[in-house]
Amino acid sequence: MNRSKLIAALAAFSFTATPWAQDAYVVGLSGAVTGPNADAYAPPVESVRLYIDQLNQRGGVNGKPVRLIVGDNQGEPSKAAADAKKLIAQDNAVLLVSMSVSSAYGPMVAEAKRARVPLLFGAGVCPAEVLPPNPDELQFCSIGFAIKYDAEMALRFIKEQSREPVKLGLVAMAIPVSRAGIDYAESRAPAFGITPVAKEQIPPATPDYTPYASKLKGADPNWVYSWGPWVTEVKTFEALRRLGWTGRYITAAQEPAEDELARVKDESFHVFSANAMFLENLPVHQEMRDAARGAKLTYPITRMADGWVAGMVIEQTLKHVAWPPTPEKVLAALDALKVDTKGLRGGPIEWSKTNHFRNNQHYRVYRWDTKKQAAARVQDWVAMDVK
Amino acid sequence: MQLAVNIVVLAAIYALISCGYVLIYRVSRVLNLAHGELMLVGAYLLYSTASLLGGSPVTAVAMAAVLGLLVGVLVYVLLMRRMTGEMVLAAVLCTIALGVMLRGATVLIWSAQVRHPMEALGWSNPSLVLIGDARISLISAILIGATAVVYAALFGFLGFTRWGIRMRAAGQNPLLASQRGIQLHGVYALAWGLSTFTAGLAGMLISLDSGLDGTMTMIGLKAFPAALVGGLDSLAGALIGSAIIAIAEVLLIQFVNPLLSDVVPFFVLLVVLVIRPWGLFGSKEELDRV
Amino acid sequence: MANASGYFRTSLGEDLVLLDTRTQKYSCAIFCALLLFAPFVAKPLFIDIANQVFLTAIGALALMLVTGFAGQISLGHAGLLAAGAFTAGILFKEFAAPIWVTLPASACIGAVLGLIFGLPSLRLRGLYLAVSTLGLHFIVVYVGGEYETRRGFSTGIALDPPSIGGWSLSDGRAWYFVLLAFAAGATLFSINLLRSKTGRAWRALRSNETVAEALGVHVAGHKLLAFVISSTMTSMAGCLFAYYRSFVSVEAFSLFLSIQYVAMVIIGGLGSILGALLGTVFVVLLPYIVEWVTAILPLTASISGLIFAINHTVFGVVMVLFLLFEPRGLVGIWQRLQNYFLLWPFRQTPLPGSR
Repeated sequence: MNRSKLIAALAAFSFTATPWAQDAYVVGLSGAVTGPNADAYAPPVESVRLYIDQLNQRGGVNGKPVRLIVGDNQGEPSKAAADAKKLIAQDNAVLLVSMSVSSAYGPMVAEAKRARVPLLFGAGVCPAEVLPPNPDELQFCSIGFAIKYDAEMALRFIKEQSREPVKLGLVAMAIPVSRAGIDYAESRAPAFGITPVAKEQIPPATPDYTPYASKLKGADPNWVYSWGPWVTEVKTFEALRRLGWTGRYITAAQEPAEDELARVKDESFHVFSANAMFLENLPVHQEMRDAARGAKLTYPITRMADGWVAGMVIEQTLKHVAWPPTPEKVLAALDALKVDTKGLRGGPIEWSKTNHFRNNQHYRVYRWDTKKQAAARVQDWVAMDVK
Repeated sequence: MQLAVNIVVLAAIYALISCGYVLIYRVSRVLNLAHGELMLVGAYLLYSTASLLGGSPVTAVAMAAVLGLLVGVLVYVLLMRRMTGEMVLAAVLCTIALGVMLRGATVLIWSAQVRHPMEALGWSNPSLVLIGDARISLISAILIGATAVVYAALFGFLGFTRWGIRMRAAGQNPLLASQRGIQLHGVYALAWGLSTFTAGLAGMLISLDSGLDGTMTMIGLKAFPAALVGGLDSLAGALIGSAIIAIAEVLLIQFVNPLLSDVVPFFVLLVVLVIRPWGLFGSKEELDRV
Repeated sequence: MANASGYFRTSLGEDLVLLDTRTQKYSCAIFCALLLFAPFVAKPLFIDIANQVFLTAIGALALMLVTGFAGQISLGHAGLLAAGAFTAGILFKEFAAPIWVTLPASACIGAVLGLIFGLPSLRLRGLYLAVSTLGLHFIVVYVGGEYETRRGFSTGIALDPPSIGGWSLSDGRAWYFVLLAFAAGATLFSINLLRSKTGRAWRALRSNETVAEALGVHVAGHKLLAFVISSTMTSMAGCLFAYYRSFVSVEAFSLFLSIQYVAMVIIGGLGSILGALLGTVFVVLLPYIVEWVTAILPLTASISGLIFAINHTVFGVVMVLFLLFEPRGLVGIWQRLQNYFLLWPFRQTPLPGSR
């Protein structure tokens, strides 16, 4: 009898808003922690949680702790909408963070707009609504990737690295965002003097990449650019190599990139990244390693960069939000944000009313170096103006 | 030439998976919709044994194969056994539920990270040169060989050994078979064990070739039309059906639109359902007039 | 239907009536009153859950018609929902069509798809409908994805809330009443369908197909009718879903969604409308319950990151348990409870081998 009373009391307690939660900055996060794309979104969620935990250990922001409430939307838009509703209405979040597949953006944006709570995109790909000159007032993006600038970067790198005329192969995964990115690259290639000779769109759950790779190889490209989820990027490359293709490959570095460079061990496999890789051994990397030592992480620390940057953004924003926090104050702080990424990114993240993305997008290029038997940087920060 | 090689590899993959569907359907008239998930479990078991026994890869593979067989028998004994005698509908729903459960369990045990059993085993996967400049990877070649061996073994088993004949008998007329003293539960358990063994084998080989993550279940699902096209209770049909689907898929990827590859097996399925629903070599089912 | 205390109706009129005893009428009235007053006192989260239940119930009722009566599994439920949702989305984006055009259009598309996929498979005995609806799922998802990409809506199609004469429907509470009306309508429709000539034909072919055929019931035709009605209802549910979420995207319609609907029908209990409703409530609430339990228990944060996997596993286990030990589902439990109270202080021990 006593136990059921206890359980009933616990139930009643959990259904009411817990009073002690009000004494913290509440940030709500909805991420695809599990589900089909978990490999790409779970690491940033883990690392932002790690960041907030060690932030609270350092005393929090303005003397108050930061409470990060994580909802798992499993990559489903309806769950993302439900998460957003719950985080706003029930948990009184003053800032929403999204780390999820692009199909979940719509519902979260709609909920954020309805409640006028700012929404930060922390992982995945930046939506077009954050770009200057007229970004949506509530949407902000700290993610490293962006459709247009990634393509420009890749094309520029290919042009610089080639002496002979370039025949470019393009690879996307057959999901709308990836296809849009590759279509953009295809349209911009002539401006760099590059001829696209083949474009492949590979369905998501393919057992065997060989048919697509052989089609690609048949067009005889000497460079291939791939932009999409990591599994497409790396498996296409491996399939091409198995078919005896000898060209060079460049692709966007997603979270698993650094570890995978060591697994693939091919000098012609280039990745460009907006985050500095761990091989650079910057002080901020040591900071991350120290923070990870105590916590039991499911994913390797090398996949933590985007989430850490999101954590930095959250910390800087909340620092400028006087107590008690409200969504309007957070929005004002975000519109005037300046974050020093301590070398993780090529430059600071600066936001204003006309730019919710950044002023410059920086990239570094890495590949495997067989002599050193380690991944190495090929090109230092290249800045691209964001107009 | 490369196209032909690609077709043969894909056909081998589908054939190896669909013989599992056929085995169970032929023997107990149950559609095992958890086949894709059982493939996944087999591949994950290989990853675990490879990580544990890093030093001796051959033992790891053998152990994983045996474990696959055991999992199949366990599934029958613990779960499907209670469904014998019930409506086939209930049994199929049970396999669906099993599939869902396995999918959740694999993520709980092994996490959603993409795994690479090849690395854990310490083997490498070079590409071999064939006629012309067609290439094939070593694992794909092994897969084709494995499919051939498995099919030959199954034909021999079902045609000539005692247990094989018992399985065929149980498939044709369970009541009569049990009256003649054939242990139905034993036969069904064996069918499930063999089916899961081939599924595990297929999963292992696919994951060795291209990494291991949850999307492998889609392949299992796409192989199902291959089994149906040939006739759900015919092994020879499964081979031919896989070949047809593989040809259609690779040619359409090459010449029409690569995105069709997901849908092609099901298009072929629908066409076959309209023209000859019981497949090319399946036993005739009755047709109602509409 | 007969319950343990006996069957007392003596005329067709009595048989057709929905509520006959005073207890039934009073409890129905109280239940309706609760339903109508709930949104004014409940928290928005609960209103959202209730809305989800109503929306899902329409689809579950549709599936019950096919599975409980035609005895076929349909694995293409997510595909039909997607078809309805995409019809609404496409008509809205291309032609700015209002809801009173998109809803009937979704219904038509649903009916057409039902015909295309039901016709070849329902003529056969066995699980051919399951197989062909699997094909339906992938084909619809492919078409939806192609549309999204070709027309540039890479992150999905956003819909405006439906407006009827200037008043737009976006408040959770307003949706509650609208969806309640739709769900109640679907339930009444299903009940009436089952009491009609079609329903009697279905009952006949479920009991014994050969005898039904001998009595002149057109077996394949009635199976096809069940599937077409079911797909029409499901498509309409998909259209409503699109408007409720104000968003259509192909990723929301996975095979797991189809399996969830099948689970609702199994867990609820095959062959009864009440079963469809109980199953819906159970399946929609299950993830929330799992989440609440894992939040209460003192587990580490990393476990809560595996909610999806836990959900899947719990879901599969529950389905299996119901199939093995309670084949009549929640309705079976409900009826046993009912019989206990009806017969008290006596108890009925059913004869071995009887239902």
